[in-house]
Amino acid sequence: MTIPNGLRTAFGALILTAVLVSAVCAQDDGQWTRPGKDLGATRYSALTEITAENAGRLRPTWTFSTGVLGGHEGQPLVVDGTLYVVTPYPNVLYAFDLTKEDYPLRFKYRPDVNPAAVGVACCDAVNRGAVYAEGRIVYNLLDGRTVAVHAETGRELWKTKVAELATGETITMAPLVVGDRVLLGPSGGEYGIHGWLKALDLTTGSVVWTARNMGPDSVVLATPGTFKPFYDKGTDLALDSWSGDSWQRGGAPVWGWLSYDAALDLVYYGTGNPGPYNSEQRPGDNKWSSSVLARRPGDGELVWAYQFTPNDNWDYDANAENILTELTIGDRLRKVLVHFDKNGFAYTLDRATGELLVAEPYVEVNWAKRVDLATGRPVVDPSKLTGKSRGMVRNICPNLEGGKSPASPASYSPRTGLFYVPTNNLCMDWQSDDAAYIAGTPYVSANIPYTAGPGGHLGAFIAWDATTGRRVWEIREKFPVWSGSVVTAGDVTFYGTLDGWFKAADARTGQLLWKFKVGSGVVGAPITYRGPDGKQYVAVYAGIGGDWFLIAGDVRSDDPADVRPPSDFAPDLARYTSQGGMLWIFAL
Amino acid sequence: MDLRAVKPALAATLLALASCGGSGPADSEAGSATRNVPAAVRYDQYGSAANLAPPAEDLVNPLSENTRDAEQGEVLFGAMNCDGCHGAGAVGFVGPSLVDGRWRYGGEDGALFHSIFYGRPRGMPAYGGLLSDTAVWQLVTYVRSQPVPGVVPTVAWQ
Repeated sequence: MTIPNGLRTAFGALILTAVLVSAVCAQDDGQWTRPGKDLGATRYSALTEITAENAGRLRPTWTFSTGVLGGHEGQPLVVDGTLYVVTPYPNVLYAFDLTKEDYPLRFKYRPDVNPAAVGVACCDAVNRGAVYAEGRIVYNLLDGRTVAVHAETGRELWKTKVAELATGETITMAPLVVGDRVLLGPSGGEYGIHGWLKALDLTTGSVVWTARNMGPDSVVLATPGTFKPFYDKGTDLALDSWSGDSWQRGGAPVWGWLSYDAALDLVYYGTGNPGPYNSEQRPGDNKWSSSVLARRPGDGELVWAYQFTPNDNWDYDANAENILTELTIGDRLRKVLVHFDKNGFAYTLDRATGELLVAEPYVEVNWAKRVDLATGRPVVDPSKLTGKSRGMVRNICPNLEGGKSPASPASYSPRTGLFYVPTNNLCMDWQSDDAAYIAGTPYVSANIPYTAGPGGHLGAFIAWDATTGRRVWEIREKFPVWSGSVVTAGDVTFYGTLDGWFKAADARTGQLLWKFKVGSGVVGAPITYRGPDGKQYVAVYAGIGGDWFLIAGDVRSDDPADVRPPSDFAPDLARYTSQGGMLWIFAL
Repeated sequence: MDLRAVKPALAATLLALASCGGSGPADSEAGSATRNVPAAVRYDQYGSAANLAPPAEDLVNPLSENTRDAEQGEVLFGAMNCDGCHGAGAVGFVGPSLVDGRWRYGGEDGALFHSIFYGRPRGMPAYGGLLSDTAVWQLVTYVRSQPVPGVVPTVAWQ
């Protein structure tokens, strides 16, 4: 669609005004209204009651069982004295009244979600949370619909079908609201989807625009003059970098997190892997899969794009969050976007232009020697390339869970200047074969055993300096770290582990301050907020799932027809955790 | 994801092959499967499993348990992306194992036919529009030919 220039300017100005107002009120409002806390997705809270000195006295103050067994990813919201949380399929929305003792339920919204979606979701029937805007709670249902619910009453305001199950699309991501636009995208990188980002109207739920991640410029919404990728030139880049019509089922899903810069009026999102896994069925760079894209929220116009992993051979989805801040790189203060890619490199980009400033490995990486800052391209080790003709390729690091899972968002503290990053220490062997496209069924054909990375531990929680690209401290964990993180002005950072511990660490030193066993592995993202009583609270979902539902072996107990042997790379995980969702709230 | 699905996929050939045999509840749909392959995941069809489909216990597998039909079923298991969910060798992945002797919807031939032809509500697509009933029976024959362990473990840790 086309928006008249005048209207577009007014739209941008409206957002700018809103952001300036919030910037003036520099004090933290104590709420958590978006998935990543702020539009820059920093997951930083200016609350200071909990500190490195007193965190050892944290104790649980309230718990709630969701009764759901799927992976409890994502985070609660806290708005106007109410805590909202969305469950995995069947995507129930709970609203708890924090102003009353025991936090009684204000409402419980139960959408009718097509159970068939469970079988079309590649990696467990997860949901990564809701967003609040103008009296509405907006979130996505697994079966491809977006709903807006009245934040006070729970009344359904609108419900829009945005994705098509029959072509392999589901939705697991948390939407972002910018102005009057609800922005969202589909899962389905393993099902041959044709990935997209859509904008819905916040008031009516109607689709305003749809931008494809690949195809001709007309569907990618790339216009000469407006679209200026830093490292590429020409038209139809997202068409000519695919062979034949492979782009039509090339994946590039949008299942991660969105962020937004009001001054530039750009929304940023990452795209997932190209499909199928056999790269020989799709020669070319496969733009814009495994990439970050910057679009105007008003009309969807693409402004720049950068591809982290051209012709992705390894399922290195780039759906991880893009955290926005300002950093001094060299001797210049730059507006940057920081991204911890599945491919093991941490990228610092100029977010106005897409210029690559820093790219250094934050975990063990051997598929590429480095990233060339002049061209923006990785220097690939040819012995790690995969494809049907290459047979079984051994020992590729990181593995396809990623150096960091995009499902596990990092946080950033402007006080320490550091990023707090959950990481995996996993490698893999890779064998792919020809895949046949049948709509709505897996489009993969690969055999990919996992192995532990160097050192034998499977994960670590690290602090990262994105100006220089170096690790400042790390806490090693027995299992991959698959929770999100939060960091506060009390210089405390929180994360959870797959063996069911919720932990607090000193953001400056990495010293472990406190831990508590929360009953099931943590794949959710913690938040912190100020309650109506003025106290600081920390909330997190426990409830193992996501890929671990598939590959951890016997972690389920609800289905006697589904008993699995333990995985070979983490054979004892089920000794520490089973499924089961629980919301925890902690305070001093 | 740790994807264990490895099968050569000769989809066009197999779809043509799959659509040319048999008679049964969906021949009219199966005939259109060679070109413009329709979406396999036609969830509305599940309703027919509950209301219109012949009772599973009335269905008799017309194929003998001979090796050739089982082998053909194994090829289909890869070509139709069954292994994408159930894993290579049907050992379980996104979907459950089909070779552990445990069944949600019944493990008899007729119940397996229903599962494949009409789909099941938690995501098993209805292949009735894509495969002839002969091809579905070949898949049933393949799955039924897989050895089931004599002892299914009930204790994970000791």
